[in-house]
Amino acid sequence: MTQCLRLGLILLCLLPVAVPAQSPTPLTVEAALDLDVVAPLLEAFKRANPGIALTYHDRSTLDVDQRARSANPAPDVVISSAMPWQMARVNEGLAQPLNSEVVRNWPTWAKWRNEVFGFTFEPIVTVYRLDLARHMVPPSTHADLQRLLTVYQDLLRNRVTTYSPTGSGIGVMLFQQDARYSPRFWDLVATMGQANVSLENSTKAMLEGLTDGTYWLGYNLLGSYAMHWVRRHPELIVQIPQDYALVMMRMAFVHRDAPNPAAAKVFMDFLLGIEGQRVLAGDTPLFSVLPEAIGPYTAQRLRDQIGEHLYPIPINASLLAFVDPLRRGLFMKRWDREIDILTTVSPDAPPK
Amino acid sequence: MIVIDGTIRQRLAAWLLATVGVLGAFLLIEAYTSAERAADQSYDSQLEAASLTIAEAVQWQDGQPVVEIPAAAFQILATDQQERVFYTLLNAAGKQVTGNLNAAMIATLHTAFSGDPMWMFTQNNGARIRLYGRELRSAGWESTEPVQIWVGHTVSGREVLANELFLATLTRFLVMVVLTALLSLLAIRMALHPVRRLRRALRKRDADDVSALNARVPGELYELVETLNALFERQRQGRNTLLRFTADASHQLKTPLAGLQSASELALLSDNPEDWRQALQTVHHSSERTSRLASQLLSLARLRHGSGETRERLDLADLLRDTVMEWAERGAAQNHDLGLARLSTEPYVILGEPWSLREMVGNLIDNALRHTPAGCEITLGLERTAELITLTIQDSGPGVSEDVLDRLHQPFERGGRQDTAGSGLGLAIVDSTARMHNATLLIRSEPGQGLWIGIGFPALPEDQT
Repeated sequence: MTQCLRLGLILLCLLPVAVPAQSPTPLTVEAALDLDVVAPLLEAFKRANPGIALTYHDRSTLDVDQRARSANPAPDVVISSAMPWQMARVNEGLAQPLNSEVVRNWPTWAKWRNEVFGFTFEPIVTVYRLDLARHMVPPSTHADLQRLLTVYQDLLRNRVTTYSPTGSGIGVMLFQQDARYSPRFWDLVATMGQANVSLENSTKAMLEGLTDGTYWLGYNLLGSYAMHWVRRHPELIVQIPQDYALVMMRMAFVHRDAPNPAAAKVFMDFLLGIEGQRVLAGDTPLFSVLPEAIGPYTAQRLRDQIGEHLYPIPINASLLAFVDPLRRGLFMKRWDREIDILTTVSPDAPPK
Repeated sequence: MIVIDGTIRQRLAAWLLATVGVLGAFLLIEAYTSAERAADQSYDSQLEAASLTIAEAVQWQDGQPVVEIPAAAFQILATDQQERVFYTLLNAAGKQVTGNLNAAMIATLHTAFSGDPMWMFTQNNGARIRLYGRELRSAGWESTEPVQIWVGHTVSGREVLANELFLATLTRFLVMVVLTALLSLLAIRMALHPVRRLRRALRKRDADDVSALNARVPGELYELVETLNALFERQRQGRNTLLRFTADASHQLKTPLAGLQSASELALLSDNPEDWRQALQTVHHSSERTSRLASQLLSLARLRHGSGETRERLDLADLLRDTVMEWAERGAAQNHDLGLARLSTEPYVILGEPWSLREMVGNLIDNALRHTPAGCEITLGLERTAELITLTIQDSGPGVSEDVLDRLHQPFERGGRQDTAGSGLGLAIVDSTARMHNATLLIRSEPGQGLWIGIGFPALPEDQT
């Protein structure tokens, strides 16, 4: 009798541990999100869901988009900062709608069709070296930047970097968004062209260039990476533009052909739930969207600090305009013309 | 027996239900299609707006149409329901200038396009989408070829809106049905009020009240009330007849009884045995008459209350022959020439009650013997037609006048004569018997030609058993 009871107790203790340990569900996440930035979130997810074997691939936005479109088997969850591309994939029907309590509570401005969700709130920033501050008043607005590039032409030549509009999905989106807000953006492009701007494919590359002294000034960097980076590099200063600051949101969706939809939904619920958002707010510079999440990195706190001039790139169908090939072609044509406009020797030379 | 066959309320409710069901089905089908139409119209206008916005941005450059698709166009297309959006710009050759539709769909659209703006529902990647296409002619320096602009979106917003509109209609319709049902119940109550009033009026009546009803009733109940009044009138007549009959019968019985009394009184005053004998003779005759009267009253009562259930198939010729033979042997018939006309050998089959028929023939003969002078001929016979077997009796007496002919069959009617010894019940018995057998009584008389009486029985077909 006593032995039977004891055996039963042992079995009861074993049961909850034994079941998930037997068959861990695989889960593949294809993401354009640096692993060292997002690592605390993934750790927390693994701790909360020991039954799911998470495989996380950190790739470029281009790679992620390619895999979302044609990888076989398809990834379970697709995360990318190239918002227009993500939107285009969802519009094509590559995402599956989610319908959990967490998803319903997610702010409407940060989701589309309950299929794709913006889960971070990353300001776009300017980063400069302290060397720059020794020669001039550092720029705090877009107009400042344009003026400095004109006034300190010779000093800043070859020391300016920004995203390559052709080599990065984020870059072209940011520039198009800039161009939407002000036609003076093209003056800025022209002065950057005059300064022989270096075009990089990632924020990381720009930060490395800034750190090793190649560049003094970086324009349109992802604030999340930059803030993470400058904690270990005090010679760099992160400036959130004071006239207007774009805000980029990473967008995540569960793939329509996800091999492990159940695990993918668990991941999304964690990502969008208070637990995941608390990790984002506390341990990553990705900034939590949820107003309930508390920590140094929250959208609410950023708004309180910066004020009203934060301009999140809206998650709606208008993003599709940025992937329209014709519109993009026109934009690139203009870019190519403007970037060379001040350096062209002969006014009769044909535009590129 | 009264069988309750549902209630008027149930009937009206059933009809209401049927009406609402049929009308409602049509109405709801109509409501559904019009809701879909309304939803389509409102969303189609968004497609048009988006198409216009894109058209506005089309320009020609280096012989090519170029367009910087306005971001707003996509937001208009997506609507607040966040539809998935589709668009394409085709040049005159049907090649896509820009857009997000696949090649197969583009080919379909290009061939389907007729030149006029067009709408279509189609399938794209398993989702139903609505497309709007129009042609734009815009001027350029080098070329002015037309451009086709196609825009479209998924249809979930339309479905939601159509469902909302339909639900609103459905709700209104259901409220209307409930109101109609309540009003109908009220109307039924109001409409049935006169019936209840009539019922109360009938309940309040005394058992022997046979006067006509005085009531205000609607037109539909007029016939019922009139029929009731006719019934009351017949009851009144029946009662009157009964009362008159009772009075007449008492009167008839009183006369011989009074005779008996006076004869016996006279005899008691006398000491002469001869007078006693005379008185006894009178008493004997009177009691004979009284007894005959009583037996006739009895048979009349039996006839009038008889149900006729004991009727059987019988040959009327046999019955007639037996009865006439029996009467011919009686002393009363010795002064008359009582005879039977020649009958055919085929049986005269009717459905009848033997005792009452014998009584009837007896009364006919008795009647004739009493009301005709001695030496008259009395002839009985049977006539056959296809439907009728008519029993006839013809005498050569003086007959009766035309004006009493119709009253002859009533009790205590003596053809206007008080000189005969009859009770006046003979033809009444004949009449009652005829009625009981569904037969018709015919009395004809021409002065100087005697009286002819015929009773027409329905003939039974020979083969019936």
